[in-house]
Amino acid sequence: MAAEAIAVDAAKAAALLETMRAAGAAESGSVVTYLEQLEGGWSRHSYAARVTHPDRGGAGDPDGERAYIVRARPRGSLLDTDLGEEFRVFSLLQRESPPTPAVRGFEPSEQTPFDGPFFVMDRLGGRAPNVWRRPERDELAADWASSRGIAHDLVAHLAAIHAIDAGRAAAAATARDFQRTVDRWQDVYEQMKLVRDPVVDEAYAWVRSREPDPVAPCLVHGDYRIGNCLIDGGRVSGILDWELCSFGDPRFDLGYMALDYHAGKFTTPGSSLLNAVAERDWFHERYALLSGRPVDPEVVRTFTALGALMLFAIMTTGIRVYADARTRDVRMAWGRFVLPGLRQDLTALMGW
Amino acid sequence: MFNALTPPQLLAGVGRVLRASADADGALEDYQRSQVLSAYSVTRLLAGELQGADALRAWTRAALLDALAGDGRPPAVAAREQLADPAVGGVRIGELVADLLAALPRAGADPVRDAVRAILRELADREQAALAAPLDGGAR
Repeated sequence: MAAEAIAVDAAKAAALLETMRAAGAAESGSVVTYLEQLEGGWSRHSYAARVTHPDRGGAGDPDGERAYIVRARPRGSLLDTDLGEEFRVFSLLQRESPPTPAVRGFEPSEQTPFDGPFFVMDRLGGRAPNVWRRPERDELAADWASSRGIAHDLVAHLAAIHAIDAGRAAAAATARDFQRTVDRWQDVYEQMKLVRDPVVDEAYAWVRSREPDPVAPCLVHGDYRIGNCLIDGGRVSGILDWELCSFGDPRFDLGYMALDYHAGKFTTPGSSLLNAVAERDWFHERYALLSGRPVDPEVVRTFTALGALMLFAIMTTGIRVYADARTRDVRMAWGRFVLPGLRQDLTALMGW
Repeated sequence: MFNALTPPQLLAGVGRVLRASADADGALEDYQRSQVLSAYSVTRLLAGELQGADALRAWTRAALLDALAGDGRPPAVAAREQLADPAVGGVRIGELVADLLAALPRAGADPVRDAVRAILRELADREQAALAAPLDGGAR
């Protein structure tokens, strides 16, 4: 049976073309031939689109059709993060070595058919691994056991992100040191929680008691993990989802990606590899070599706990938004079942 | 144990997804399919949680009462009094433990604090095991 075509929403298509034309990324004869909302995205809604560019057509491709992603921040989105800042960071990254999609226009208005501001970017080739699915963990383990192309790329791109000129990074992303990062997520958690959680209360006190000596700040992805990368032909072809980026402590990225949750743990253990990609010691040694920044496992442990608390705060926000009937997105309710595992990770990280 | 959103709230949400899927015209978008799969996951996890809930609450209550036995400090006495009620709920137990840990001194060794933390760790392990356990009457 042939798949049924998804109808293109005319208002969204018109807004998309207008924004691209304003940025010089589409022409008067361009047409949106496909537009579908994608699965991913908690605070952002993502749409896959295809747009014709007759002026750019050629042999075998008369319509000059290209694939794009629309990234929108709808009203009542999970986190109050700045889409404009994310667009600025993507713009900054155009001239850097980590692979990221080129951006093709930004519409800052809250009143759009996408229910809020949006920007357009190229759709890169590749697929984001889902580490909570065993076959995909097995694929990553096979890479580690053979060429290690994904592992090498993941660590090299992280070192490259942290090496981006600090002045340019500071101009694009909000500065957040350790203290401000802890404050931010604890504030979110306290405002959004519906029930008290003694493990989380203790974990914030534990993290605050372990504030590491500061290091030179740099661009921090903030949600760096293999699930936010695209894999194509055994290599990392794209790094996405910069919504949580900041100008801050690079060790946050190292700690956050070390969460067992990001290696596929849910109610049962996931991969024993860091982020389901590489052995932990190898990754940290390689990062230290490439970045010139030493890796202290105890500092990473602190940031791993902070990463767990960030996820806890985000999931708690989703639960609150759902309970208040501000969204019907059932994934927000599903997030409730992530919390026991994070609580388990926190008790282990704190050495209880 | 310390979980927001009640089973009725969760089931109502699952029902809305089912209704929206039944009402959808044409093929489901990627996003809509993910809603259906998430709803399925909610039902499966909620079933595991409910299956183990009573035993988990009873174990937690008993372990805390045991850890607090003989401690005459006011926060411990207050928590013990509340935990004496066999019907005390999971969310209320979370509040009591949070209040207790906040009131106990942080500096220096405290056997009661250590014991409560050990209980919380085992509780987390047991809760995870309950979510992963095979369901009565069917495979996961």
